[in-house]
Amino acid sequence: MDDEIFLHERIEVVAVFGAGLNPCRPLKFRRANGREIAITEIGLRHPSIQGKRTLHIFDVTDGSADYRLEFDSQQLTWQLTREADHYE
Amino acid sequence: MNNSYNLERPLIMHIDLNSCFATVEQQARPLLRGRPVVVVNRRTDTTSIVTASYEAKARGIKVGMRVRDAKLLVPEVVALESDPAKYRFVYHKLLGIMSDYSAHVSMKSIDEGAIDFHQATEAMRFRELREIGAEIKQRLKDEIGSAMRCNIGISTNRFLAKTAASLHKPDGLDVIDATNLRATLASLHLTDLTGIARHNEVRLKAVGITTPLQFLDADEVTLHKIVFKSIVGQQWYQRLRGYEVDDVASTIKRVGRQYVLESRTLGRDEIVKRLHHLCESVGSRLRAQRKVARGVYVYAKTPDHQYWHASQMSQLPFSSDTTINVLAQQLFQAAPRMIQEIGVHCYELSDEGDGQLSLFGDVIMRERHLVHAIDEINQRYGDRTVHAADTLQTGEFVKQKIPFGSTRYL
Repeated sequence: MDDEIFLHERIEVVAVFGAGLNPCRPLKFRRANGREIAITEIGLRHPSIQGKRTLHIFDVTDGSADYRLEFDSQQLTWQLTREADHYE
Repeated sequence: MNNSYNLERPLIMHIDLNSCFATVEQQARPLLRGRPVVVVNRRTDTTSIVTASYEAKARGIKVGMRVRDAKLLVPEVVALESDPAKYRFVYHKLLGIMSDYSAHVSMKSIDEGAIDFHQATEAMRFRELREIGAEIKQRLKDEIGSAMRCNIGISTNRFLAKTAASLHKPDGLDVIDATNLRATLASLHLTDLTGIARHNEVRLKAVGITTPLQFLDADEVTLHKIVFKSIVGQQWYQRLRGYEVDDVASTIKRVGRQYVLESRTLGRDEIVKRLHHLCESVGSRLRAQRKVARGVYVYAKTPDHQYWHASQMSQLPFSSDTTINVLAQQLFQAAPRMIQEIGVHCYELSDEGDGQLSLFGDVIMRERHLVHAIDEINQRYGDRTVHAADTLQTGEFVKQKIPFGSTRYL
């Protein structure tokens, strides 16, 4: 099976809120252990509606691992919820 | 009846996101691009593959194959659990893009649909459909992601447009019209045609029809009276010539859900809880369609592929989870002991509020108000915020899966 790790980790994120089709673009994030990860590509952004609460889910990569970031539009918080890097 | 090919300008466009779920996963996770990826509904090696990426298919992996068999074939295959929210998002994006070109868009399933340009605006109809197809392909990349690809087919009816979309996977754009119809059909096998699977192939071969061209050249009476023995034969005669016979709105006849048990050693009490969970899910879907039912059908499959089923009708229409569960549980008492899969359906559907209230009108209205209040809470705070205590633990196993074949619940 795919070696995804499921996480529930609060992270700090630098993101640009701009114009265009993808107005919110996370650029890099800092994990709880202090490690900084620079995002090289946003694979997909999709919303997850949980009642009247919306989470914006960003599947991103830094080129060596894939990550899932979740932005809670109500709490204005970011979580790292998945990491996958063991494809070999 | 039309004996000649349809000579009108092709104005039906079929769009198909082939290997949709695997493609969406590869879009979401760039490191998976170019790798053999399969999507499954459960994280076990015994589960069947729902979708395989083109890279996986090229190496012999097929939809329906078990993950452990796929791993024997391609040890480095990556199996991902399905993520319906992601696929729903892509479905709605695709639907939005298609709706920009015509008000007459019909989605056949979560990953394919057709645009009918017959009644599109004049400005749109005067555009070259190949150009619009190329534009839609580019918009998929711009608005969803650069790894998204789709097959597009253009023709005079839905059947030939879908056939055209299957000619050059994974990123094709083809037109079938009267000028190339014979040449195109000559390049296909009978079972390449949508609607011709093993059973129909046998019927056709019984009268000496072994190729799509022979199928096209068969006379209408043979198809009607000998091969299909019904109006279906006449429909095939028209369909193959490019005339529209498939533009019919489908109606809901039943609403249901099934579940393959996560373990064969589950006790009866655990199976019954999962059946209850399915009943809640069916009730929610029924009410979302503003329908009420009068019948409940329950089935179970055993590990040795035996099929058990039972059904019962109620005098009064119902749509509450409780009623569905009570009826289903009564039936389920007669189910066999060893079970691998369970399912429940509601049938004899009618529109909510159609029927007259009976002598028990007060009781029914009280239940409807209660159910409505629970549905409102669940809509506001998320699915299954309020549900039966009996199903408190079952959500971990009985998850929402991808609804193939119907777009009603997307």
